[in-house]
Amino acid sequence: MLQTLLNGLCIGSVYALFALGYALVFSLLGVINFAQGAVFAVGAYLTWSLNTGSWGGGQVPLWETSFRLSFGLSLGISMLFCAGLSAFIERVAFEPLRRRRAEPLLYLVSSLGVAILLVNALLLIYGAETRNFDLEAIPFIPVLVEWGDIRLRGIQVLILAVSLAVLALLILVFRFSLIGKALRAVAENPAVAGLLGIPVQRCIVYTFALSGALASLAGTLVASGFSIPGPHFGLLFGLKALAVIVLGGMGEISGAVLGGLLLGLFEAFVPAEFSGYKEAVAFTLLFLGLMIRPQGLLGRPILEKL
Amino acid sequence: MRLQRSVRWFGFCCSSFLVCSGLSQAAVVSAPYPIGAALSQSSNVALLGQEQVIGVKLAEEYFNSKGGVNGSLIQLVLEDSAGDEASAINAFNALMRKNVLGIVGPTLSQQAFAADPLADKAKIPVIGPSNTAKGIPQIGNFVARVSAPVAIVAPFALQAALQKNPSLKTVAILYAQNDAFSSSESQTFQETVKADKRLNLVTIQKFQTTDSDFTSQTSEVLKVKPELVIISGLAADGGNLVKQLRQLGYKGLIVGGNGLNTPNVFPVCQKYCDGILIAQAYSPESGEAMNRTLVDLYQKKYKKNPGQFTAQAFTGMQVIVEALQKIDQKKKISSYELADLRQELNKQILSQTFQTALGTISFDKEGEILQKSFYVAEIKMDSDNKNGKFAFLK
Repeated sequence: MLQTLLNGLCIGSVYALFALGYALVFSLLGVINFAQGAVFAVGAYLTWSLNTGSWGGGQVPLWETSFRLSFGLSLGISMLFCAGLSAFIERVAFEPLRRRRAEPLLYLVSSLGVAILLVNALLLIYGAETRNFDLEAIPFIPVLVEWGDIRLRGIQVLILAVSLAVLALLILVFRFSLIGKALRAVAENPAVAGLLGIPVQRCIVYTFALSGALASLAGTLVASGFSIPGPHFGLLFGLKALAVIVLGGMGEISGAVLGGLLLGLFEAFVPAEFSGYKEAVAFTLLFLGLMIRPQGLLGRPILEKL
Repeated sequence: MRLQRSVRWFGFCCSSFLVCSGLSQAAVVSAPYPIGAALSQSSNVALLGQEQVIGVKLAEEYFNSKGGVNGSLIQLVLEDSAGDEASAINAFNALMRKNVLGIVGPTLSQQAFAADPLADKAKIPVIGPSNTAKGIPQIGNFVARVSAPVAIVAPFALQAALQKNPSLKTVAILYAQNDAFSSSESQTFQETVKADKRLNLVTIQKFQTTDSDFTSQTSEVLKVKPELVIISGLAADGGNLVKQLRQLGYKGLIVGGNGLNTPNVFPVCQKYCDGILIAQAYSPESGEAMNRTLVDLYQKKYKKNPGQFTAQAFTGMQVIVEALQKIDQKKKISSYELADLRQELNKQILSQTFQTALGTISFDKEGEILQKSFYVAEIKMDSDNKNGKFAFLK
């Protein structure tokens, strides 16, 4: 029981981390950024390349650099790059539409286009082969952590610890820091926030950058824990993250955390004989969530003005 | 009037030419005798197809150096069957247009189910070099295979595991439920384990080939403490599963299915691949005369031993060439009409016994291979944990 609980929390915490990026953008703009799944994959590939020194392997021939950065440094650079990439996506795929007050559906199509472009770029560079981190090269991670009958892979413990720490930090930042309060104010009402002197456009760019960094962190954690099965792997996680924010409450920070952890636990508690069907759990939850509580577990019902 | 007569003469000449050329096409089979090969040279299946292309090319080179078909040369006609059914059908159609006597190919079973019926309808003998799924020889009278079906090959790995640990009792089976080949292979493993009274099948776990997180499956497997784990999946998911199982402390034996029978699994499970047992239909270490020839030819060009895919493709060509030699001894091939020769070739393939790199082989009346020798290899990883080899067990 405890083993299953921990297994569920490990993967659930990554879902939460990744879904937070979606929730942040949704809370500010009221739209879904589908490119987040592709940024997740870009982050994983970039960390892998910096850490192993291997680049290419698809249409671009495989080449190895003489330098290999540590896992932590590779992750840091990858997060910074993905923060910049996400901010760039905001500038080219969202900002022009926002200026024209376009329909929300157009944001969705625009971000989906960026996602497909990025995934195909990865396919061109890296091909479709599976990539693996060399965990033995990360000295501070033990292969196995045993505690009585409980057995966790060292990387699972790292995933759980990092994800929970980052989630706690983000919740504190949103609650108590000035930037957190500014973001919440923009999410509440951008026009009023602007009148109060809060730089709305800059807040939106910061939010995209933060969601990109979170996608890179989540992508790298998943890739180091399991593998990078190919450039498309971020899109499936993206769909799961979507289920998470619907379950927790669209645009709710704490809802994304709760939804992520719940999804991980539900998947872990799928009976062994149905373990091959656990992917279906996320989408069954999404369906049930929409049927029973459309506003999500922590979301507020939308009041209609008469 | 004169113009009309000229037009008539022109029409008569043209139709005579067409009739004559048609008759000559039907009557004459001339050297070099074209033998088709539809193999995957592009797509993600090309890793396997490239090995097969080497096999058929080596066979063309070798048999021509030995005089081809009783002094007349053979000519290999290659077409790319890529990785999907449509490409295999295109490749078969192209080969049929080129009037080949027989076809070696395609690479995948699912391609064979799509393309073989075309050749069967046109009464062209097909030899499947790597189609191991159930039902391939039953596609038609003109379809045979030199790749032993999974139901025959897979249990040999289980025997090898029992030799390594005669006291083992508990077995766990994991398989990719969304892959038809892995599911059918797993059924064979399950039946073999259940039939052996020494063994107890303690758990069956399913996964998908698209999965990368196997935490729930590995946790369930470790709960029941098996002494042997059997995995039927593809290289990426199967390799990942092996890695996560070993990292969680599983120390028992692992048997892998045919999906793991590729060096592509090495970079996935790295040092944890070490010790995986996989049944094989071919061993480069076998002492058969034709195998020694193949190994020498391959080593001269590539400085390493050939693999199963090369050996089976080489054997496919050998079967067609040696059957043609027998036919030619009875009646000159050049005196046959193409359609008659193809029929005769199919009859001869099904009735003859061949001494090949795979050992002595023949076919049953449906075209299923009857092979006597099977082997088991154990993966041995190099010290860099990135490369390894399949070490054949004695």
